[in-house]
Amino acid sequence: MKVSAQDTTKEIQQKLHQSSDVKTRSVQFFGTSVSLIYIADITDTLLMNNSLVFPMVSFSNEVSRDVVKELKDKVLSNHEVNEFEDVKGAIDGLLKGMTLILVDGADKILACDMEKITTRAVMEPPTSVVIKGPREGFTESIKYNFALIRKRVRTDDLVVKTMEIGELTKTQVGVVYFNSVADKKIVDAITKKLKEIKIDGVLDAHYLISYLQRNKHSLFKQIGDVEKPDILVGKMLEGRVGILVDGSPIALTLPFVLIEDLQNSDDYYSQPIRVAFVRILRLIGVICAVVLPGVYVALEIYHYKILPTQFLVTIMNTTQGIPFSPFMEILFLVLLFEILYEANLRMPQYFGMAMSIVGALILGETTVNAGLVSPPAVMIVALSGITFYIIPSQAAQFSILRLCAIVIGACLGLYGMMIFCVFILSYLSNFDSYKSAYLAPSAPYIENDQQDLFKRANIAEMKKRPKSISNNRKNNIRRGKDDAQS
Amino acid sequence: MTLKVNYRQLSILVFMSFIALKFLALPSLMYLDSENMSWIVALVIMVIDGLYVFLLLDLMRKCKHRNILDFMTATLGPVMSRVFLVVLMLKYALVIANISKGLEFFVVENFYEKLNWVVFVLPLLLLTGFMVYKGVRNIARVSEIICWAIIFGCLYLAVKSVMGVEPLNFLPLFEDGVTPLFKSGFNHLSWFGSCTFMFMLFGKVDFSREKIGQMIKYIVCSILLVMLIFFIFFGLFEATAPIHTFAISDISQFSSGHSSIDELSWLVVALWVTAQAVQLALYSYCMVETIKALFNIRSNTFPIIFVLLYIFLWSYVGEMTVRLERVFLTPYASIVTLVAQYVLPWLMLIGYGTMGKAKRQQFEMSTEQNAKESLQNSKNNRAKTAKAVKNEKA
Repeated sequence: MKVSAQDTTKEIQQKLHQSSDVKTRSVQFFGTSVSLIYIADITDTLLMNNSLVFPMVSFSNEVSRDVVKELKDKVLSNHEVNEFEDVKGAIDGLLKGMTLILVDGADKILACDMEKITTRAVMEPPTSVVIKGPREGFTESIKYNFALIRKRVRTDDLVVKTMEIGELTKTQVGVVYFNSVADKKIVDAITKKLKEIKIDGVLDAHYLISYLQRNKHSLFKQIGDVEKPDILVGKMLEGRVGILVDGSPIALTLPFVLIEDLQNSDDYYSQPIRVAFVRILRLIGVICAVVLPGVYVALEIYHYKILPTQFLVTIMNTTQGIPFSPFMEILFLVLLFEILYEANLRMPQYFGMAMSIVGALILGETTVNAGLVSPPAVMIVALSGITFYIIPSQAAQFSILRLCAIVIGACLGLYGMMIFCVFILSYLSNFDSYKSAYLAPSAPYIENDQQDLFKRANIAEMKKRPKSISNNRKNNIRRGKDDAQS
Repeated sequence: MTLKVNYRQLSILVFMSFIALKFLALPSLMYLDSENMSWIVALVIMVIDGLYVFLLLDLMRKCKHRNILDFMTATLGPVMSRVFLVVLMLKYALVIANISKGLEFFVVENFYEKLNWVVFVLPLLLLTGFMVYKGVRNIARVSEIICWAIIFGCLYLAVKSVMGVEPLNFLPLFEDGVTPLFKSGFNHLSWFGSCTFMFMLFGKVDFSREKIGQMIKYIVCSILLVMLIFFIFFGLFEATAPIHTFAISDISQFSSGHSSIDELSWLVVALWVTAQAVQLALYSYCMVETIKALFNIRSNTFPIIFVLLYIFLWSYVGEMTVRLERVFLTPYASIVTLVAQYVLPWLMLIGYGTMGKAKRQQFEMSTEQNAKESLQNSKNNRAKTAKAVKNEKA
């Protein structure tokens, strides 16, 4: 192509539909017209002035015939100068925050990266709060997020591959993994799936989930999501692959096994005995969250005989005069809880306190006093509601399962609840994705991985990478462990 | 990822199968024939069953990649293999009927005042159909998870009840000689023969991490658990044992001291429902596989519908019969078990031994070849599917 400072500028402006944020600046560089094109809102104009405009206008040395070469070698002080051989490529660069340099008569368009990254500060994510341990969380800028990972991983083994997804948004998506640890076949499968995605735009990492997961209509989560770089690096060290999306503070991790949600980054910074206790509590919490209201309904409707007499008397006393059946009572409370939760989530923060008072005190207290619901039912739903958030990432799934359990408990009693539990187990047992069994290391039982199931072994004792995650089997021993032993 | 079950999962399936039918009506029924020596009968038959597990494992190792029909055809001939498949199907049908009806009585007696049989059977059919459709690996994985809960549940029950056991209830031994023991053993054979499910796992077990000790551990554990419950049951109830229909729930009721099951004992009883449901799925899977082999059917749909219909019909028929257990006490049921569990493995072993070296080598080679072929076929199928998807997209 032959660049004309004036005509090519017009052509680019036309292709961008004369958008008002596309700015141009013309400069005469030793008799040659040079046009600079940039998008004002995403360009660091101070950097542009200092490294582009000022050196060009103040350059006073002799200039050879090859102006482009002269500009590249002697004038432009930017760390990277790109060259485009067609207008389309140049426009793509412009949209990414580059400033285009159109030199009259040149056969290519020069471009310098002047992108102004606007993002919030690195903060502790609200869903991954730790008492001890790193507090840095990912931001919405993929570049910052890469930097946060690189800060923790100073090795040539770390691979970062980026690609663009989204016909209109051209969102940058990065695949990160350790070359010697991750399973190459899994990396290839993920990369292939990402490349095959045909979508208008990707606004968040969750857009990619339905393209990457095997069981597309399943209720259960099949891909991990993390908000902190230390957790992502920890998972990568076990052989997982991370996926970062520009504009999203969440990184996806693959393969995913259910037990990951019972583990917390805090666990690795605490005493192993405490960790074992907390993990068992979490498991009990999960069971309570899902089946407790259903079991309560089943016991009240069908199996009151199996309750210890004193407990039964207490329940009988408190449920006397309640106009609803136990099923309706629990269902009403569960729906009320869900409505309050949804309202609280989307309400401006300054209304939050008022909402809690209305929800917990006024609605809860008055419905009990009015004799519409019984105190044990309120207690059961409250307990179940609280235990949901032991594993916040699974709360949405649990709320649906809880509703199913209530209906089954009311229709079939304890027998139905047991069948329901086996059905869920059986359903989850089939969720193999990316060579990993969803219920591993429990089913199938993997002896090596029991070190990080309920009890967590000392870090120094965890010599092998988990086998439930498909990783590079030839490199299964964690490096440096022998040194640590000695 | 392979769809085979691993050696540990097989051990757990054996464990579950060994204890599954023993804790419900069996102790009370056995008492009628062999009284306080019932535990000796159960112990002897279970030890023999345990030895048969190893015999079947040996046979399984001989054809790691072929199914039972191939192996039986090679060792017994095409006609006899079909005959024995029918016998196996009868055995599975008996076990399925026993589990489904036993479970229904158990659930109704322990948890409900009245439960419609349709309400009982429909969720069970849904679960069984799903698990059978997903295959034996799915059943094995579920067993892996629930087996520990069941062990701890039974131990909890045993610890709670052991103080009430009267050791003198077991004496005197052999008062009427050993004849009642043989009679009781033969009459209740349908409740044993716990490793017949292994026939349908030929070619579906991954022996790469075989640990013989693991299998021994699970078999010994299952025998000890069954003996423990038998001891407690007879120790607690002695002469009144026949009126206590379900061992596991009656022990919990006795230990609680109330007319109802108290505290956590109901959880143990509820857990037992899951164990039975998984066993039902396992034997339904075996029956599906037998039908497939018998009639050369590739699809799972028809055999699964057939088996589910069979369970449904049994629930309906069972409504009209007073004591279904009587069906399993007939000599015919015992003969089916005798042939399926205790005669067939020996015939297969003898058949394999008399095959001749050349023929055996050819079979082993064809087994390896079959594995390679099936691997290649699956690769080709995958490639074809990928190509079809690509063409469709294009």
